[in-house]
Amino acid sequence: MEAMLRLRLALGFLLLAHLLLLAGSSSHPSQDLQIINAERRIDLTSHIVRVYLTLKVENTGTSQASEILLAFPPTQVDHLALVKAAVVVGKRKKKSYSPLDVKPTEVPEAPNETKYFSVSLINPLNAGESVSLEVLYILTHSLEPFPSEISQSESQLVYYHDSAIMLSPYSVKKQMTFIKTPSTKVESFTRVEPTERGNTELKYGPYEDHHPYSFSPIIIHFENNNPFAVVEELTREVEISHWGSIQVTEKYKLAHGGAQHKGVFSRVDYQSKPSISGVSSFKHLLARLPPRVHSVYYRDGIGNISSSHLRTDSRKSELEIQPRYPLFGGWKATFIIGYGLPLQDFLFESPDGKRYLNFTFGCPLLDTVVDKLTIKVVLPEGSKGPSAMVLFWWNST
Amino acid sequence: MAVSGKPISSPVPEAWYPTLSAFMLVIGLMITASFFIYETTSSKRSRSLAKELTTGAVASVFLGFGSLFLLLVCGVYV
Repeated sequence: MEAMLRLRLALGFLLLAHLLLLAGSSSHPSQDLQIINAERRIDLTSHIVRVYLTLKVENTGTSQASEILLAFPPTQVDHLALVKAAVVVGKRKKKSYSPLDVKPTEVPEAPNETKYFSVSLINPLNAGESVSLEVLYILTHSLEPFPSEISQSESQLVYYHDSAIMLSPYSVKKQMTFIKTPSTKVESFTRVEPTERGNTELKYGPYEDHHPYSFSPIIIHFENNNPFAVVEELTREVEISHWGSIQVTEKYKLAHGGAQHKGVFSRVDYQSKPSISGVSSFKHLLARLPPRVHSVYYRDGIGNISSSHLRTDSRKSELEIQPRYPLFGGWKATFIIGYGLPLQDFLFESPDGKRYLNFTFGCPLLDTVVDKLTIKVVLPEGSKGPSAMVLFWWNST
Repeated sequence: MAVSGKPISSPVPEAWYPTLSAFMLVIGLMITASFFIYETTSSKRSRSLAKELTTGAVASVFLGFGSLFLLLVCGVYV
């Protein structure tokens, strides 16, 4: 009796495993989808690289496709800060964008250690249909300064490595890449015909009929004097007080992430010839704070720093700070910014009795890269059962 | 997850803090003063423990709340 039961269980398990294997093998997506048109716009104007992809994907297979894979070379994946995707709904004047879920996935037998992100479609794509996707991804620390050391009067030149052919697990029928540089000074760029160079724009393409996983590396050497503001470490402490205020204290370790400064710093040259001297340095930083902020202070280890301006609005507040000295390549500055916020803008009570703090996760400084961010929330006395949730995908180790 | 709750704010309107702290401290100090006057003007026989205790308790309540609101007015959100 028991043996019969065990045999039945084993058979059942085998059948299930077989079915699962079948299902798994038939959902390999690369053969089904094809990208008809891909347009890539790479924005290199700041030290954060923003890439806008417009893909028109067609389902040439027979089964429904519910996800689209985006492939990235392993060197780029380490520097990815954000991947966002949206599907275009409607045509021409009535276009609207619905955001889609993007998650990193593993695909077995990925060639050359390619990493993938899967975009889940809201309505699965039927056979023969096509959909238009807009993808934005942001890369940080991707511009390599070359020469790596410059003097005060030199301009900063950086390398950008990418591929003229978009890396994709699907075959691409037609694609074009537009690269926008901050100024007209481009020292050199790899030519992959047809290539054109306009004022501040490089055009690669159109390229026709490329196989999946085709890659054509290019290097662009250009001038980028935009502030390379990198916050190496940021600790934010949020104190909640039920008597009506939230106090935020932020400790920054700011550095200039561009080409290292070599030689002497001459204040005379810096102030008398601002168009030649110190073009790659920066001295202003802008922080965007919530509206109705009060008691803002900006100090460092020495004491209060008075070179700051606060402009408030009904929708936002802008704090413009100026460190004690301009930052050249490799120079660092540490400071503390603190401010208070009204409680009713951020703390809510849900119908089931729990209290929620709805607060932004990131750094309020605009156009900066934060390497290490710690947020501490100080709850009022007597709080029980705290839990936290972030609205983006993160590695929970 | 959408946050669909009503905003939480202080049980006492924030605009009242300075006025409340001033009034409570003044009343508390006046009751303290009356306690001192009672102590100094009464003799050992005419003193009543109940009066001393009530005056002290009421004075400490007012002074306590007054100093709480004083701390809140100064920005130390306890």
